[in-house]
Amino acid sequence: MSSRRAFFMKILPYLSLASFFVGWQLAVDWGIIPRELLASPTQVIKLLIMKLTDPNPDGAVLLEHTWISLQEAFIGYLLALAIGLPLGLGMAWFRVVEGFARPFFEMLRPVPPVALIPLAIFWFGIGLSGKVFIIWVSGVVPCVINAYVGVKMTNPTLIAMARTYGASDWGIFTKICIPSALPMVFGALQIGLAYSWISLVAAELVAANAGLGFLITMGRRLVMPDMVLLGMFMVAITGAILGMVIKKIENRLLAGIRR
Amino acid sequence: MPVADDSRTLTWQAIISSNIIFYLISTATIFLVWDWIASAGLLGMPRVLGVLQYLWALTFDPLAGLGLFGHIWASLHRVLLGFLLAVAIGVPLGFFMAMNPFIDAIVGPVFNLLKPMPPIAWISLAILWFGIGEQSKVFLILIGALIPCVINSYNGIRLVDPGLYDVVRMLGGTKRDEAFQVMFPASFPSIFAGIQLALSMAWTCVVAAELIASRSGMGFIIIMGMNISSSDQIFGGIVVIGLVGWLLSVLLAQLERWLCPWKREI
Repeated sequence: MSSRRAFFMKILPYLSLASFFVGWQLAVDWGIIPRELLASPTQVIKLLIMKLTDPNPDGAVLLEHTWISLQEAFIGYLLALAIGLPLGLGMAWFRVVEGFARPFFEMLRPVPPVALIPLAIFWFGIGLSGKVFIIWVSGVVPCVINAYVGVKMTNPTLIAMARTYGASDWGIFTKICIPSALPMVFGALQIGLAYSWISLVAAELVAANAGLGFLITMGRRLVMPDMVLLGMFMVAITGAILGMVIKKIENRLLAGIRR
Repeated sequence: MPVADDSRTLTWQAIISSNIIFYLISTATIFLVWDWIASAGLLGMPRVLGVLQYLWALTFDPLAGLGLFGHIWASLHRVLLGFLLAVAIGVPLGFFMAMNPFIDAIVGPVFNLLKPMPPIAWISLAILWFGIGEQSKVFLILIGALIPCVINSYNGIRLVDPGLYDVVRMLGGTKRDEAFQVMFPASFPSIFAGIQLALSMAWTCVVAAELIASRSGMGFIIIMGMNISSSDQIFGGIVVIGLVGWLLSVLLAQLERWLCPWKREI
């Protein structure tokens, strides 16, 4: 009896997912939800296959949209890492850096990056550089915070010991503080990516002429719910894949550091 | 006399060695450089005073029928509605998912499927479903704020140290004691962290929703500023959005200190 129960608990998640999709499909097929409001899963898959080769009606095939979004995300994200991580590490260890960078950072921090989209368009237009700016802003904040906290959480005994043995300030920073901050820094990579991805979609929704967010907007303008859903699905799956890749890199690099 | 001298040098040292002097210099530099760039006409930056003047003017001269505080309230009203709904749905949902394996097995997979979707991506669907009125914005905020509420209350309850339950049981406590003496106090900090995250997400979502389709609210102000190329208006809107977001998070942190004095600072 209990093994049957255990078996039931094991398949219940799959049953739940299956009934979710079947219910969705039937709700659309039977017209419970009007077709201009929601597309069924099969319609989305049909459109997905069609969009792999057909640039109509929005001007680009699916992989092109994905590639454009990825390109914007990567440039902005890498710039955020290149500036945010050294800044956060430096702010935590050198008082002068903290003194000068902190007020600026504290002013920037409470502003949702999404609110900077109109400014980015005003400055850079609707092309690549505006999106990169938005993604940079959204990625840089968690990078700075995590790198800062990581250094601040360094075991003070280690620092005191290094001082006793006559290590220089710079030596302590590079040999003790940075390695011990690495797990937090990698946490920042994940959070920064998630934030960047959210802002990217928002930026493309507000103004773009290509990219996954643009695909969603076009779907709405043409009242094609299947295209909206396809865009949302691609955004989710691309974001999830990027997150997994970073997790893999993290595990590889931190293999010796984490117990 | 030398004593007084000593104390004076000490205070000077204290001032210099504290970060306040750096903060003052740096803040002043930021505004001076900003104003200098603006006066040189670079980057289309507005003057610092121009932004303040704009906000002052907007307080009395309505834009699209609402003054500055009317627009702030329009945004806040949506945020509060969506945020409260999300807390009312999300926290109990996370709680039941953590307590009951059946509910977890049924709701969990669907939730995990929808979780990686950036909430802002729902906006087009929300507009298709609800039009561009209040409902679509509240729906978007609800989705954005729901996810951290569910995740944090789920994890908060799951990660309560089981040893604590054993202690209550050993001391002869009932199920009720376990819930009120252990589970609630131990999971509250995590749940509240989720609520804080939810509020900041809600604020982001409302701005995004207003950027895309709206006739009131702070997002509407900055997108209008972009359309008429008024950098005063864009900057003024961004400053107000930042200030309100900051105030919201400060208020919530105060509320937490008041509701949950047992939380340990890390």
